Amino acid sequence: MTIARVEFSSEQLAEVRRLQGLYPDTRGALLPVLHMAQDTFGYVSLEVEAYVAGLFGLSPAHVHEVVTFYTLYFQQPKGRHVVAVCHNLSCHLAGAQDILRHLEARLGVQRGETTEDGRVTLQAVECLCACEAAPMMQVDDRYEMNLTPDKCDRILRDLR
Amino acid sequence: MPRLTIDGKEIEVEAGTNLIEAARRLGIEVPHYCYHPGLSIAGQCRLCMVDIEKTPRPSIACNTPAADGMVVHTQTERVKDMRRSMMEFHLINHPLDCPVCDQAGECWLQIYYMQHGLYDPRMLDEKVHKPKAVPLGPHVMLDAERCILCSRCVRFCDEITGTGELGIFGRGDHSEIGLFPGQDLENNYSGNVVDICPVGALTDRDFRFRVRVWYLDTTKSICPGCARGCNVEVHVNRKRPHHAEGRRVARLKPRFNDAVNAWWICDVGRYGFDAVDDPSRIRFARRGDAEVELDEALNALLDALRRHTPAEIAILASPDLANEDLFALRRLTETLGIRQVAFGVPPAAPTPAADDFLLRADRHPNTRGAETILPAGDAAAILAAARAGRVKVLWVFQHDLLAAGWSAAETRQALERVDTLVFSGTNDNATSALATLVLPLAAWVERDGTFTNFLGRVQRFRAAVEPLGEALAAWDLLGRLLGPLGVPPAGARAELWFRELATTVSAFAGLTYQSIGDGGAMLAGAPPTTAPEPPGRRAPAPA
Repeated sequence: MTIARVEFSSEQLAEVRRLQGLYPDTRGALLPVLHMAQDTFGYVSLEVEAYVAGLFGLSPAHVHEVVTFYTLYFQQPKGRHVVAVCHNLSCHLAGAQDILRHLEARLGVQRGETTEDGRVTLQAVECLCACEAAPMMQVDDRYEMNLTPDKCDRILRDLR
Repeated sequence: MPRLTIDGKEIEVEAGTNLIEAARRLGIEVPHYCYHPGLSIAGQCRLCMVDIEKTPRPSIACNTPAADGMVVHTQTERVKDMRRSMMEFHLINHPLDCPVCDQAGECWLQIYYMQHGLYDPRMLDEKVHKPKAVPLGPHVMLDAERCILCSRCVRFCDEITGTGELGIFGRGDHSEIGLFPGQDLENNYSGNVVDICPVGALTDRDFRFRVRVWYLDTTKSICPGCARGCNVEVHVNRKRPHHAEGRRVARLKPRFNDAVNAWWICDVGRYGFDAVDDPSRIRFARRGDAEVELDEALNALLDALRRHTPAEIAILASPDLANEDLFALRRLTETLGIRQVAFGVPPAAPTPAADDFLLRADRHPNTRGAETILPAGDAAAILAAARAGRVKVLWVFQHDLLAAGWSAAETRQALERVDTLVFSGTNDNATSALATLVLPLAAWVERDGTFTNFLGRVQRFRAAVEPLGEALAAWDLLGRLLGPLGVPPAGARAELWFRELATTVSAFAGLTYQSIGDGGAMLAGAPPTTAPEPPGRRAPAPA
């Protein structure tokens, strides 16, 4: 995805100021503003980091520290859908590695990569707090639980 | 003011003093990596744990202010055990490449490891590998594997320079120090991050692999790079000259002085000592193109000074000369009645600029001293007189007049018009090439003396190495001329010249080498100074 111009709209800038006003130190608003930026520009490029740094009067290096610390900020363009498979202990014991290998084969990408058509980004992630339904994964904003290869295929089919 | 007990010794400290500083005053060192008195508290390394009576667990000393009645123990078994464990954490991914690391010998990982006697690593997993030998800018090299993530360099760039180039990226055992991609560590204070790095993660590209630090000798000195007069240590490699291909001065390090530069020096000063061991150094006196004995050259100069009337003689002194030199020169000009004396020569374009912290636009260490000791003179008028043929003997100290902010053609005319052009300086330049008589001067690291900084602070520098060839301090050279002219020289040591200066020039009254000490002393009437506020602390955060 290419972005013509890294710049928030005036409504978004008002929202940035509102968020900054919620914290004793405006830096507290950095995380929500970075999420806003990710939603707006698709992912958090270095250019986006520098732009956001400017909104906070921070050094770009400081914003880069935050972006590289958290896994939910994408530093590369991501697919239209994000499939995040848990491979922590419970899911691992319940066959998460088989699920991951199945998804890798179906999508033709390795974990951490995005399909060429930009449809799906596949990730292996740590515990998502649904051990009772292991193995599980998060597809965009919803949990898919008690996975089997067949169930995965059905889920992938619905992702456009 | 809180009164507390540390390891059985009582001390009273100012409110707000932390336990590391309070202990330091008692001569007790609390081990630490991330704490630095010039930076904010990070509490990152967890090494400075101390036991405080009536608190259940050890606390970090850096972030604990001294309180009245506090009883602190820095050496309990529990605390030592914790430090040992912290050291073990710090060393988990450390590459242990001390044999090829410049920091070896002054590395706090080595020092604390030895102190805490932890000898066998228990880790079975492979170490995490990170980038090595990454140039961060013109002066600093990063080895991310050696880094213990104390964040001193990050805080330095945030709080001192205010430039914010560095950060800690990633997390967990993949965290590493780095630059925002595409940026360079290119601010004028970048060398300081090497000084404050407690381990070998940041090393100096200029000093790298030149010499082992335990072969270095240390001398207290003053940076001659500008009118600030930052306090420095000169580190000299005398024991292993073959390690550095004849480069005697290995590096300059800042020396703490709260009144001048605090803990810092700029890169212009830090890397500005090349001239000392440069092939352009003047080692022996010259007459025309021939090297001659110093005495022969001095006699020739005496002869020229005696043969001409004072009105035919002009002297261009230098604001690079020490107070002692300038005073000896003043003695000479007074003895001979020479009125045409000046020292200020305009710099060539582009004129050097001051930076926003320590570096001054005036790149001479002793302009204030020259102003105080010598009568006010006009260098341009002297050159004009020379061009008009009214100057027969022109004696130039140190300056390259052909590289000054004057028309080089006109200056050349002036220099070629005089009968005897005398040059005394440390290094050859275009002006010395035209001189009929050249006298070698000792560089600032080769002699004792004092400079007066722009605020009137008189500060001592000391000889770290022997002068090259027959080079002499200017006061010594001038003293050897004064004797035959019937004026007893003040003595054979810079200190004796200073003593005479202090009794003659009222601004220096009462000052002695002893009262100047290591920290300097103010000229009479000059208000006391403090180090300037760092730009990183000055700038209010933009809204």
